[in-house]
Amino acid sequence: MASASHVTIRKRAAVLFLFVIVIMMGLIGRLGYLQFVKSNWLMENATDQRVREIPVEAKRGIIYDRNGKEMAVSVNTESVYAIPAEIQNADETAAKLAAILTLDADKLSRKLKRRQAFTWIERKIDERTARAIKTINLPGIGLTQEGRRQYPFENLASHVLGFTGIDSQGLDGVELTFDSYLKGRHGGIVVEYDARGQEIPYATHRYAPPVEGQNVYLTIDVVIQQIVERELDRVIRDTQAKSVTIIVMEPNTGEILALANKPDYNPNKFADYSPKLWRNNAVSNTYEPGSTFKIITTSAVLGEGIISSSDRFFDPGEVEVQGRIIHCWKAGGHGSQSFAEVVQNSCNVGFVNVGLKLGAESFYRYIKAFGFGRVTGIDLPGEAKGIIIDETKVKPINIATMAIGQSIAVTPIQLISAAAAVANGGKLLRPQLVREVRDKDGNITRCFYPDIINTVVNEKTAQAVKGILENVVEQGTGRNAYVEGFRVAGKTGTAQKVGSGGYVAGKYVASFLGFAPADNPRMVMLVVIDEPVGAYYGGVIAAPVFNAVARDILQYMKVVPTAETSTSEAEPHVIVPGVINCLVPDAVAELKKMKLEARVEEAGNRVADQIPKPGSRVPAGSLILLYTLTPRYSVGEVTVPDLTGKTEREAADVLAELGLFIQPFGNGSSTVRQHPLAGSKVMPGTTVVVFCE
Amino acid sequence: MLSRRLLRNLDFTIIVTTGILILISLVIIGSATHINTPSEERYWFVQRQGMFAVANIVLVFVMLHFDYKSLSKYANVLYGINLVMLLAVMFVGQSALGAQRWIQLGPISIQPSEFSKIIMIISLAHLLDKKTGKMNSFKEIIPVFIYIGVPFLLVLKQPDLGTSLVFLAILFGMIFVAGISLKHLGAIAAAGVAFMPIFWHFLKDYQKKRLTVFLDPNADPLGSGYHIIQSKIAIGSGMLFGKGLFGGTQSQLNFLPENHTDFIFAVIGEELGFIGACIILLLYFILLYRSVKVAGAARDNFGMLLATGISSMMTFHLLVNVGMTAGIMPVTGIPLPFMSYGVSSLTTNMVSIGILLNIYMRRQKIMF
Repeated sequence: MASASHVTIRKRAAVLFLFVIVIMMGLIGRLGYLQFVKSNWLMENATDQRVREIPVEAKRGIIYDRNGKEMAVSVNTESVYAIPAEIQNADETAAKLAAILTLDADKLSRKLKRRQAFTWIERKIDERTARAIKTINLPGIGLTQEGRRQYPFENLASHVLGFTGIDSQGLDGVELTFDSYLKGRHGGIVVEYDARGQEIPYATHRYAPPVEGQNVYLTIDVVIQQIVERELDRVIRDTQAKSVTIIVMEPNTGEILALANKPDYNPNKFADYSPKLWRNNAVSNTYEPGSTFKIITTSAVLGEGIISSSDRFFDPGEVEVQGRIIHCWKAGGHGSQSFAEVVQNSCNVGFVNVGLKLGAESFYRYIKAFGFGRVTGIDLPGEAKGIIIDETKVKPINIATMAIGQSIAVTPIQLISAAAAVANGGKLLRPQLVREVRDKDGNITRCFYPDIINTVVNEKTAQAVKGILENVVEQGTGRNAYVEGFRVAGKTGTAQKVGSGGYVAGKYVASFLGFAPADNPRMVMLVVIDEPVGAYYGGVIAAPVFNAVARDILQYMKVVPTAETSTSEAEPHVIVPGVINCLVPDAVAELKKMKLEARVEEAGNRVADQIPKPGSRVPAGSLILLYTLTPRYSVGEVTVPDLTGKTEREAADVLAELGLFIQPFGNGSSTVRQHPLAGSKVMPGTTVVVFCE
Repeated sequence: MLSRRLLRNLDFTIIVTTGILILISLVIIGSATHINTPSEERYWFVQRQGMFAVANIVLVFVMLHFDYKSLSKYANVLYGINLVMLLAVMFVGQSALGAQRWIQLGPISIQPSEFSKIIMIISLAHLLDKKTGKMNSFKEIIPVFIYIGVPFLLVLKQPDLGTSLVFLAILFGMIFVAGISLKHLGAIAAAGVAFMPIFWHFLKDYQKKRLTVFLDPNADPLGSGYHIIQSKIAIGSGMLFGKGLFGGTQSQLNFLPENHTDFIFAVIGEELGFIGACIILLLYFILLYRSVKVAGAARDNFGMLLATGISSMMTFHLLVNVGMTAGIMPVTGIPLPFMSYGVSSLTTNMVSIGILLNIYMRRQKIMF
């Protein structure tokens, strides 16, 4: 049958075979595409489908003070998570969990039905709740350990330490700036699951251990910090100031020994406080430093050598610059005085004159060398750099006012760093908060050394400035800062606050900037009292704070007192007698008897209040202010405000500002009742019970 | 008894290739099923498949004793049996997975549509035998379409779209080789395309979805696209050398459904990698090459048409099945010959091989 058709048939069979070859090539090509070109993507897909990771948080590093006292630690708590794919009955599971965790069952059930590999249900629960969840043992619900940050000293050094968020991430303070050291690296448990969501026995069940965070050793000394904060608590109660700040620095290394602002917050429950209280005024606040800035002017003047301590000036009580009259704080002026006396008396007219003599170029050089107008680089978030008038636009009137610490805005940390430069013989150092970082085995991984930014003045100039500043405390406006047995140098400051459109009447910043011992400084301290009520002179309210804190610190630091103070004619100290409720003439007489001067501030006939307080230790000849009409700041009592309608948080803020504590009851949103009632007089520190509905 | 001469004429390439494919299939089925089968019956699927393979070897050996030519005599009877079987499925069949395809016979459930493929090949070969070389008028061609149209519609009704498409592949392969004029073939193809919308209309929703979803499986990743996505992930994650036998994660961990039947090639791709998959495709290629060779060597048109039908069937199965697992063909439920688990499918394919051997063995005309 070898017909023509048979040939056709064979040909067609060959065509059919060609077709087979094409199909084969196509299939192999497709396989190659899947297994080479797209393989990585598909491989990841395959891994994603069966591998789930349960995070295991790294233990956050501890923050220690300079002596190894724990200031921030992490304690283990349990967190509840869900792997929705493994949950058998979402509604039932949600109901059971909601009952234990007091959550909304419907919301939880929706969360559990969502298509996701992993979800948190509740973080950082207490031990009892965790046990309850473990006992019911729901499929798809698990517990993992997480650290909860604890600050054993509560409010202490809150503005230095900062706080951490729910994922143990640093949010503020050193917790934030050293987060990369503290946080470590989180690990995980990798579990393989099959398509039904069942854990595969004997399958890859890898545990990637977390890397513990490193420990940070601060320069802060808890004891000094406690001394400082104790005093701050007292000051804010006594002066009713808006806020107060103290920074203590080691002048030779730039190490911050203590840094605190009041009011503050408790980092253990930072969320209960207004974010306004988280603000670290010591580095974030800019203000006109007033007379404390005269330290810089003095250094510039002496550093340039245009004037010596003994050059004489005449202060007629006012000076005119570019048509503007600048008054000296002392009516009638200080008359003829040496430059040392100008500083000692904090004479504005004298400083305006030397400032003008110094000139913009030289003055700016010193201002910049002292670190103003730029951040100091301290390891804290939110540092401000202050405000300086542009050098190219500065006018003589600006130079004149800058010489007395006006027309310039600085931060407390800038000011204390500048003073430290004078104290240590002329070197500006970067303020340090951390001494070293160590890993969990105690090996040092990072160490901080004194960081000299530049030399501001030479040793000789520094000595001369120190000598003059010592006089300020011995005989001048800073007498109240005097610490018996030690040579103290310093400068007071009283600045009127600047608001919109000029200086605001009745709002002052009182400050004292000083160091001790003057010949070999071991500590520099800045006290800033913002908007005190009543007395506002730095020498009157800030200098005594320096005295109280420095006395304790020097003793704690075992600084040996000099047997004899340098100036032989230094007045002996006296204890201020209590004259409250006395008739004014009796009070004045009483003070006279104690070799104290009195100034009656108001036209009453009976003394209602006095500054400094009865019992204060002041040098003989100090000025005691007497108030007659109303107590400027009550010795203790504050008036309980009306909290009706306020939320718990608002009420807490209002009370905190008055130094009162809150004890909330009920879980409503607004206050309906309170005890004590609004208008009651109570002592600061009293707890006000608030009922919310 | 078979004569020594006939035995010498056996196509040993086909025998060895088929043998290797079946052995590989037993291993892969084991890999795909052992994890989800209770431990005492861990290799139940393997044992069952192996048992039937042995039974089929015996069957094929018996068949070799009869000249394939005698099939021609029974062609019309077989055609009748086929129709009865397909009708029986409609009335007494059991449904599974949305289709009525099985008849329970004692301990085994058989799938008549599998057997009807080989019956169709025999019947068509018988019909076309007389028409070879005369397929150049519609008078000759239309009866062929009617002849195959009846069982085609019955299978489609089950519904078993895959098998009905196999019928078409067999039909076109055979009429093409039978020498249909290209003009008529073109006209038929054009008519087929024209009727496509009507055909589409009769499809069930799930079939429509299956036919289209492979173009964009992510449109319904957890529904009809799931098979395709999982299959592609399994193959792709195998890469060059695969994850090793019994080491596939997707196929072992229930991500890939039907992994021992329709999607067995995905297991091969994942566990044996590109290299393993290519070796197996090569084995199929050898088999198809030999079957085309058998068609060419056949001593008569009937044998040639039988071999062509078998080649067409296997080629179509391979293309659609592997294409489906690789995501370039719609999911139609067509098993991979010799590889997929399934007694009916294995029997059909082994009987087909038996027929090929039979044709090749008797390729020379017996001279008396």
